[in-house]
Amino acid sequence: MNTKNIVYYGAFLLILSIIPFSLNSNWVSVMTTFLIYSVVSLSQDIVLGRAGMFDMGHAIFFGLGAYSSAILNMVFGWPIIATIPVAIILPTIASVLLAAPIIHLRGDYLLVTTIGFNIVFTQALKNNVFGITGGPNGIFGVEPLKLFGFSFSSQTSIYFLALFLLILTLIVIHNLETSKPGRALHYLNEDQLASECIGINTRFYRLYAFALSAAIAGLAGVVFTLQFSAVSPDAFNFIQSVLFFTIVLVGGPSSIPGVLLGTFFMFVVPEMFRQFAEARYLVFGIAMIVIMIFRPKGIWPAKFGRIPKYLIREE
Amino acid sequence: MEIFLQQLVNGLTIGSIYALVALGYTMVYGVLKLINFAHGDLVALSAYVGLVIMMQLAGALSPAILIILTFLLTMAIIAIAGVILERAAYRPLRKAPRLSAVVSALGASMVIENGIMLIWGPMPRIFPASVVPNVNFDIHGVYISLMQVLVLIISFVLMVGLYFFVNKTKLGTAMRACAIDQDAARLMGIDVNRVIVTTFVIGSALGAVGGLFIGMYYRGIYFNMGWIYGLNAFVAAIIGGIGNIPGAMLGGLLLGVFNAFISGYLSSSWAMALTYVLLIVIMIFRPTGILGERVAEKV
Repeated sequence: MNTKNIVYYGAFLLILSIIPFSLNSNWVSVMTTFLIYSVVSLSQDIVLGRAGMFDMGHAIFFGLGAYSSAILNMVFGWPIIATIPVAIILPTIASVLLAAPIIHLRGDYLLVTTIGFNIVFTQALKNNVFGITGGPNGIFGVEPLKLFGFSFSSQTSIYFLALFLLILTLIVIHNLETSKPGRALHYLNEDQLASECIGINTRFYRLYAFALSAAIAGLAGVVFTLQFSAVSPDAFNFIQSVLFFTIVLVGGPSSIPGVLLGTFFMFVVPEMFRQFAEARYLVFGIAMIVIMIFRPKGIWPAKFGRIPKYLIREE
Repeated sequence: MEIFLQQLVNGLTIGSIYALVALGYTMVYGVLKLINFAHGDLVALSAYVGLVIMMQLAGALSPAILIILTFLLTMAIIAIAGVILERAAYRPLRKAPRLSAVVSALGASMVIENGIMLIWGPMPRIFPASVVPNVNFDIHGVYISLMQVLVLIISFVLMVGLYFFVNKTKLGTAMRACAIDQDAARLMGIDVNRVIVTTFVIGSALGAVGGLFIGMYYRGIYFNMGWIYGLNAFVAAIIGGIGNIPGAMLGGLLLGVFNAFISGYLSSSWAMALTYVLLIVIMIFRPTGILGERVAEKV
């Protein structure tokens, strides 16, 4: 990380940390969800942007984390802090089990299968499997997180919890970028055959991408549960997966500022225009098309070092 | 046995509607390698347009002419909408990364869906009951309504017609050539843009028939129904092998029958989940769909 980046991220985090003291509670709530969605989108980006797998079912892992925390707390009476490891490990295992049989599918087929997984997941939640998911209404009244006698129950404390989660995710992704698995994913995305030929175990790294992103999304799910003290199936349906999918592509795949901008554009901007309730999504759809026409690689595309122009394959 | 046959008839009816819509997905995918996410919303739009036309013309004409006129006008309008969609949202992105076109398709879907809501409001609309006379044929205890007969016959005729168009005419041959290799097709003197526009015209018009059938068969239509019917039809296209025309027909019928049996014998609340379990199982064991191996014949 060079000095320029440190200054940028420092300024970004500084702005984020004064937000709860300068906005009303409604907007603090919106910004908390923004932080959580940023984390989920960053995790989606590991699979979609970095590994290049068209995963349109990412809300499953987000939802699994949220539901396992809520169920363990409400049905089995675990304190929230004890549910966190489960909410990370369970989505990780689930992602490996779900992805293993379909990981070899090419582009669109993978996309459709992950949509299928997501719909089965939400339908199972709605049909109240094992009698513990609370059916279509979900689960209400989840306890706040208690840590060293401090209870994360106020709006602001949840906001900082989400901010902490975002910083944690940024560190993980920064480490991924500069590590061996990160480079492997990058090669894999650029050219699968070539990466296999230089000895990258593509199957392993694809599952690795799924597992890592599911773990992050699961953790984000816990904070999402804490924000609303509730979970419901519709928060994790296929439309939400489409949202995370578009956030990454509109913002800029495998670009951290791009994904953050994408989340802002796709989630916070529609909230700003709430008074135009009905027309806003129409305009929004047009905006999505226009952005893709003028910036097909996203608003803030990723740059990979100083590679001479003639070496880059234009698609 | 009667229940079995009854569910089979219901399933085939819904299945042929899915098949009509699935053809739109599969044809566009064959030529452009693009999942046209807005196709389902065009189907929803066609139900609304059809309802408006029907209400305007009702009373003045006899039922048969009314239905024919509604179908023709709706097909024409939706075909134009399909061409506009291609022109505005897909053509500028033909050289862009593939995923950008997917986002553009999702944006177009949002535009159509919310456009419908702005024009006709968020409440469901109901098709008039008496457009097709409510006649039931009783064949040894299995009931088939006139509407079901109409759906089955018209879908069958359209599918056979499409099959002949794609396989026997010059434009159909051009379409298959574009599906295999666009650049080579262009070198052979095929106007690729014209072929793509034709694909959108035919796909949208077939989708419009599907949308009208949905309206007339289920009667209730709502602005965001494009998602659910579109997704089901899309799954049908995938099951059959996307890009493959007979595959889309087969996938549609299979999905409709499967759905009807699940709803009839098990529970309707699990029908949707089990449909997607079927999809996942087929994807695991036959990754390119049932008829998907004929890659060279993609259209």
